Amino acid sequence: MQPFEYHSPRSLPEALRLLQELGDGARLIAGGTDLLLRMKQGQLAPRALIDLRRAAELHGISFSPEEGLRIGAAVTLRELQRSPLVRDHCPCLCETASWMASEQVRSLATVGGNLCNASPAADLAPPLMVLDAQAVLVGPQGERRLPVEAFFLGPGQTALDRGELLKEVLVPPTPGNALYLKHAPRAFMDIAVVGVAVHLRMERGLARAVRIALGAVGPTPLRAGPSEALLEGSAPTASLLEEAADLAARACSPIDDLRGSAWYRRRMVRVLTRRALDRLCAASLVGEGT
Amino acid sequence: MSQEQPTLIGARVPKLDAPLKATGSATYGHDVRLPGMLHGRILYSEYPHARVLRVDTARAQALPGVKCVLTAADAPDTRFGYGRDNVPFKNQVVRSLRDEVAGVVAVDPETAEEALRLIEVEYEPLTPVFSPEEALAEGTPLLHPDRGSNLFQTYHYEHGDPQAGERESDVLLEAEYQLPYVSHACLETSVVVAHFDPHGRLTLWSTTQIPFLLQRDLAEALGMDGSQIRIIQTAIGGAFGRGLDIYPFEPIAALMARKAGRPVRLAFTRAEDSIAAPARQPARVRVRAGARRDGRLTFRDVSAVLDIGPYVSWGAVTPLVMMETTASLYKVPHVRFHTDCVYTNNPVTGAMRGYGNPQSTFFIETMMDRLAEAVGMDPVEFRLLNANEPDTVTPQGLVITSCGLKECLQAVAARADRAAGESAAGWGQGTPVSPARDPFHGAPPSRRRRGIGFAATLNVGGGARIYRSDGCGATVKVDDFGHVTLVTGATEIGQGSETVLAQIVAETLGVSLDDVSVENSDTDVKPWDVGVHASRTTFIAGNAACIAARQARDQIFETAAEMLEVKPEELIARQGKVMVRDDPERSIPISKAVRRRHFRQGGRIVIGEGWYDPPTRLVDKATYKGNISAAYGFGAQMAEVEVDLDTGIVRVLRLVCANDVGRAINPMAVEGQIEGGAQMGLGYALTEELLVQEGRVLNPTFADYRLFTAADMPRIETIIVETDDPGGPFGAKGVGEMGGTPTAAAIANAIYDAVGLRLTTLPMTPERVLAALDTHQPKDGE
Ligand SMILES: Cc1cc2nc3c(=O)[nH]c(=O)nc-3n(C[C@H](O)[C@H](O)[C@H](O)COP(=O)(O)OP(=O)(O)OC[C@H]3O[C@@H](n4cnc5c(N)ncnc54)[C@H](O)[C@@H]3O)c2cc1C
Repeated sequence: MQPFEYHSPRSLPEALRLLQELGDGARLIAGGTDLLLRMKQGQLAPRALIDLRRAAELHGISFSPEEGLRIGAAVTLRELQRSPLVRDHCPCLCETASWMASEQVRSLATVGGNLCNASPAADLAPPLMVLDAQAVLVGPQGERRLPVEAFFLGPGQTALDRGELLKEVLVPPTPGNALYLKHAPRAFMDIAVVGVAVHLRMERGLARAVRIALGAVGPTPLRAGPSEALLEGSAPTASLLEEAADLAARACSPIDDLRGSAWYRRRMVRVLTRRALDRLCAASLVGEGT
Repeated sequence: MSQEQPTLIGARVPKLDAPLKATGSATYGHDVRLPGMLHGRILYSEYPHARVLRVDTARAQALPGVKCVLTAADAPDTRFGYGRDNVPFKNQVVRSLRDEVAGVVAVDPETAEEALRLIEVEYEPLTPVFSPEEALAEGTPLLHPDRGSNLFQTYHYEHGDPQAGERESDVLLEAEYQLPYVSHACLETSVVVAHFDPHGRLTLWSTTQIPFLLQRDLAEALGMDGSQIRIIQTAIGGAFGRGLDIYPFEPIAALMARKAGRPVRLAFTRAEDSIAAPARQPARVRVRAGARRDGRLTFRDVSAVLDIGPYVSWGAVTPLVMMETTASLYKVPHVRFHTDCVYTNNPVTGAMRGYGNPQSTFFIETMMDRLAEAVGMDPVEFRLLNANEPDTVTPQGLVITSCGLKECLQAVAARADRAAGESAAGWGQGTPVSPARDPFHGAPPSRRRRGIGFAATLNVGGGARIYRSDGCGATVKVDDFGHVTLVTGATEIGQGSETVLAQIVAETLGVSLDDVSVENSDTDVKPWDVGVHASRTTFIAGNAACIAARQARDQIFETAAEMLEVKPEELIARQGKVMVRDDPERSIPISKAVRRRHFRQGGRIVIGEGWYDPPTRLVDKATYKGNISAAYGFGAQMAEVEVDLDTGIVRVLRLVCANDVGRAINPMAVEGQIEGGAQMGLGYALTEELLVQEGRVLNPTFADYRLFTAADMPRIETIIVETDDPGGPFGAKGVGEMGGTPTAAAIANAIYDAVGLRLTTLPMTPERVLAALDTHQPKDGE
């Protein structure tokens, strides 16, 4: 690893100022669980690191009925997993976090790092996408908001402009249910071969707010638009769900790599989408009666 | 009389070094720091096969912080290794991407690493050879032209008349198997620290498994005399066969230390360890086997091709073990076994736990399952019918003394009917499982199938003579305070040998375990031992320790007899005292007897000496027959699995392991060996594979090389079968390797039971299982 300067700003404005000053040779670091690996492997050699963890503005989880959940970018996966607020309002996020990486890594790794690393396999991306979450970006020109799915531009590429960083994620209150299914060879310590997140709610027997997002099967995490359109407002039957799962498998563009081959990934998209839909439809039907 | 009963033998004693290791105070190889120590790094080849035209080290040499740069010119031109085909730095031809071209010594590893990038090497690429088939084809370039062939060695074995065996068969089956590269994946990567003292004597801090052979091999490689080399073994963070030969980094470290004139540490990164340390040989195996309608086996015919990579290590001897399983697991009247070990430009391979046995047990025991089905017999009944028996000699010449194979099979079968659901809670499942956490992603029950499968194993359990001596030495000293020091040639690699040997000595001398310490790490101090391999330590080093302890005890008895005015034969040693057997009230502390013997005119110290080399012989060079081990261990496993028909995910719910260990000196340690072996067997079966493409390892990190973690482990149920071996210390036999040998076969057989698929390629990944399911989906109720 090459030597680098290390900065630890105490506030968001200071972090932004440093980012401005140090320019392209600088790199933001949060937990470092993605970044340091790439530095050690020699893929990255930043001249300076700006550590975001001491900026209070990037911390904390809060809830308001209007805006929903606010999750600071520097919140760790462990905090996310254990937050009572998240458990109450978006249990799917707690669950997703709880089986990412390992206890040790989760104590370091952050929500912001997971998104800004922009891996197509980032586990938080699909659930946040189906929860209709917004990314709050902040830079010299101030704040702007983007839907999480618009945040990813390609492997390792985000919508962050020069001088910008991710401040927080906003998850609107949702009356529906969400579920993320991760397919990986091991229980923990594995990157997803395929990840499928689904959100929906059943209203008088009809599926509403159907959102399906797929991870690790394209250059970015992606939405399965055709499947969503097919199901939106429909009365889900087995054959309709199967068709939606098929459409999802067709909507993705997986590649062959060490973790799985393209054909297998496509198959898993179909299987997991179907299973997630089955489960959510059943759960929502039960929920509807009460 | 109760005082005659052993008390420490069979005791569940925690490992003596556990507190050290659990608190981080054990000194591993990576912890060794010497004053003035420098750091070495190795430059590896950029091509799998090339001529080295020029190595320019000038720029590296000039980098501040660099002490020296080494190339082939710095190494003596002697070859080393089992095949005498390796040199420290490759001077003319590189034969794999792990070939050492140059080395740098610098003040820290980072500077050394940077200097590596400044070394310029000019190569002329040669045609690489990436498969044994290619390697053996006409006109293929030779890796070692002076050998005249890429075929390093052929093992051909026969007993009976295989053709007659075929004719006698009512059923005859055939299958082809493909077995992967597997990494030892030791927690501690390869590491060595070398230092020459002012007299020119070399000390090597090492994690080797063969300190005395390394001393000799290193002397040869460095052009030194063995007496000028001292090897100190540190605490060893995993070995599993990785340290069973000399590898280039060891002479390189010594050459670096010599050139730098200071101690040099050479420590591999994880990726380096996955690439440059040896792997288990991949193999393609064709198996034919038959049985009579009544279930008796008729013949086996095995042809295997092993890809041994560019250089040969002791790992090339693994066919001997594959041969043993093929020829002698169960009673088979006619056997033919043929294996070619072939050079390629792929990664280097070596010895690994089981030493060929996980491979052969996989193909033999899955074949047994198919034969059982073909003759319409229950798989356990079929195995029992053909099982080895005590006090028999196999056609291969193995003298089987104690044999608990049938007991092991019956013991695991007895657990087969217990519903898995109730007992399946694995370690990772203490808390209720949410649908998202469910490894089957909430698959409906109709899309899952459960099955059980069995497999047995035979493994050497009383040493294995592959070198002219299979011996181990020991001394036992008793001091004036009654403290006992065992100095043993045996090596502790985490398997618990220190503890078991201390138990044997304490029991023999009638002292408590706290009174015994074990010294086993310094070739200047400890007596010779061939090395830690072949599950041999408890049996061989245990017998040696027992002999030494008895000799020390006899010395104490001699003096105590004078003091107690009885004959030595009337004495026993118990509770730190020497007592009169028939009148235990009459006793004296051992320490007192020692002092009496010591502090007098013409006094003597108490020190016993033991050397044990088992009554075995090397296999016959032509026929490969002969009794290479003084005892044989047996085992059986039952796996219960669940298969997801839509994803191909296989989850092992339970693994029941029964092992005939002769006598469990320490049942807790036996369980540890079996559980650890099972963890490796599970990985071999389901997840572990070093992916190699055109000679390059694609997954050299633990992110992509998937070991079973604690959270992935199923519940392991261990059953200890005791047969009291006549040759073992207190009846014990070895168990070090058997925990993992039958696992892949048991799981494959369970998958068949669940979904009707016979898988012959390891590991059985979800993708492979699903691809197979695509050709055969089980019907409902199947
Ligand atoms: C052993 C191991 C297991 C893992 N398992 C998983 C897993 O199961 N699932 C999974 O999805 N990931 C996994 N990961 C990857 C990683 O841990 C996660 O992606 C984690 O959330 C990254 O967060 P971090 O804070 O460590 O990011 P860092 O490494 O600190 O940063 C990652 C990238 O994001 C940038 N960045 C960080 N914060 C911000 C910000 N606020 N604004 C702008 N840019 C920012 C950094 O500059 C860097 O480019 C694993 C990693 C390891 C080492």
